[in-house]
Amino acid sequence: MKIKVIALNTFKEAIRDRILYLLFFFAATSIIFSLVLALVTVGDKIKIIKDVGLASLSLFGALMAILIGTGLVYKEIEKRTIFTLLSKPIGRAEFLLGKFFGLALTLLVMLLLMSLIFLALVFFHTFKLEWRIGLAIFYIFLELILLTSVAILFSSFTTPILSSLFSLSFYLIGHFSWGLEILIKKKKSGLARILLQFLYTLLPDLENFNFKTEVVHRLPISFKFLSYSLLYGLVYTLFILILAVLVFRRRDFT
Amino acid sequence: MGILTCLLFMGLKLKLEDIPRKKIPGSSIIYIPSGKYLKLATFGYSSFLADLVYLWAIQYYGDLSITDRFRYFEHIFSIISELDPHYVDPYEVAALIALYDAKDISLALKMLDLGFSKNPDMWIFPLEAGHYAQVYKRDIALAKEYYKKAMEIEGAPQIARRLYANAAFRTMDFQTAWETWLEVYKTAQDEQIKKIASNHLYQVKAAVDLRAIRAALVKFKLKYRRYPAELVQLVRAGFIPFIPKDFDGKDYLYNPQTGEVKTPVIPWKR
Repeated sequence: MKIKVIALNTFKEAIRDRILYLLFFFAATSIIFSLVLALVTVGDKIKIIKDVGLASLSLFGALMAILIGTGLVYKEIEKRTIFTLLSKPIGRAEFLLGKFFGLALTLLVMLLLMSLIFLALVFFHTFKLEWRIGLAIFYIFLELILLTSVAILFSSFTTPILSSLFSLSFYLIGHFSWGLEILIKKKKSGLARILLQFLYTLLPDLENFNFKTEVVHRLPISFKFLSYSLLYGLVYTLFILILAVLVFRRRDFT
Repeated sequence: MGILTCLLFMGLKLKLEDIPRKKIPGSSIIYIPSGKYLKLATFGYSSFLADLVYLWAIQYYGDLSITDRFRYFEHIFSIISELDPHYVDPYEVAALIALYDAKDISLALKMLDLGFSKNPDMWIFPLEAGHYAQVYKRDIALAKEYYKKAMEIEGAPQIARRLYANAAFRTMDFQTAWETWLEVYKTAQDEQIKKIASNHLYQVKAAVDLRAIRAALVKFKLKYRRYPAELVQLVRAGFIPFIPKDFDGKDYLYNPQTGEVKTPVIPWKR
C-alpha cells in the first residue's frame, strides 16, 4: 500500500519532468522522420520504418530511464525531503521500490504513447498490426525496467552525473557482452578463461531483450528463448533492486 | 546584441556555402571500418545502422560526379551485409549498380553470391544471378548452375526449373534437359506451361535424334562417298540401330541430295 502511494506520487512527479517531454518530442520526430528515410530508399520501405521506429523506442526509452531514474533518489536527498519521508512509518526498501514502480509506470505510459505513433505509421503502410512488433516493444520495456533499477541503484549513493555515466556504461556493456563471448572462445582454457567466463555470466546481456532484427525480418523466435529472456530480465532486475535496497539501508544521510 | 550576432553568423554561414571547397571523392567513407568491427560498436542497433549506411550508399552511388565511386563499392555493401545479413534489398540494388553503372558483371554476381551465402533460403539471389550470367555474361553453363541452386530452394517459382532445363539444353546436356522438361510437363497445372514443356521435349528429342542421324550420315558418306537414298539404308549399313521418329511419331524430313535432315515441323508451331 505504501509502495503504491509512493509509486503514484513518483509517477505524478516524473510525468511533469521537462526532460521527459523533450525526449518524447525527439522520439516522435525520429519515428515520423522514418517516413522521409523510407522515401529515399530503394526497396522495402516498411523495413526502414520498423527499424527506425524500434530503434527510437529503445534509445529514447533508455535515455528516459537513465536521465530521470538517476535523479529520483538523489533529488530527495539533496532537497532533504528524504528525512521527512523516512521519519514516517515507511521502510527504506518500500521507499525505493515505490520510486522504482513509479518510474516504471512513467516509462510504460511514455512507451505506449511512442508505440502508438509508431504502430499508426506501420498500420498506415501495411494495413495490418503484427503481434511481433508488440512482442519487440514488450521486451524493450523489460530492458527499460532493468535500466531503471540500475539507475535507481546508482542514484541511491552517488550524484546524478556519475549515476548517468554508470547507467549508460551498464547499457553499453549490456549490448557489448557478446564481444566478450568472442574473446572467451579465442582464449585457451585456464584461469583467465574461467575469470572471463565468470565476468561474462555476471555482466548483463541486454541483447537477450533485443528482437528488432527478428521482428523486421520475420524470423522465427523460440518460445523457450522468450520465456528465459523474460525470466532473466525479471530476476536481474530483482537482483539490482536488492542491491539498491542494501546500499540504501546503510546510507547515512547526515 | 544577441540578435545582431545571430544575424551575423547566419550571414557568414550563407557566405561560406558559396565558397567552393575541394573534396576528395569518397573521402567520407574511406575510414569506415569493416562491418564485422562496426557491428561491435552498434550496441544493438546494427539493423538500424545498416539502413542508414544503405540509404547513404544509394545517394552516394547516384552521384555521377564522383568518378571513382566504385573504388570502395564492395567494402560498403559488405558493411551493410555484416550489419544486417538478412536485408535483401542492398544485395539486389548493389548487383544492379554493379551491372548497369560500373559495367562489372563479375562484381554484380559477387554481390548476389554474398546475398545468397547469408540467406541460403532465398531463391531470388541465384535466380537473378542466373539471369545476369545468361543475358549479360553469356555464360550459359554458369547460368545453369545458378538456376539449379534456385530451383532446389523451397518456394522457388516454377520458372526456375524451366530456365534450368533451357540452360541444360543450350549447354547440350540433353539428358538433364529431357528429364527436367518431362518433370515440368507432368507437374504443370497450366495448359500453356504444358504446351511449352511439350514443345521443349520435342526440341530436345529432335536434337538428340538428329545428332545421331547426322553422325550416321557422315559415316555413310565417308564409306560410300554419297548420301543414302533413304534413311533406312543407315540401319542396313549398321551405322544406326534404328531410325527414330519425332516426339509426335512422325518421320524426320530427309534430303538425299544434300544429306540434310530436319524436323517435319517447327517446335513452336506444333
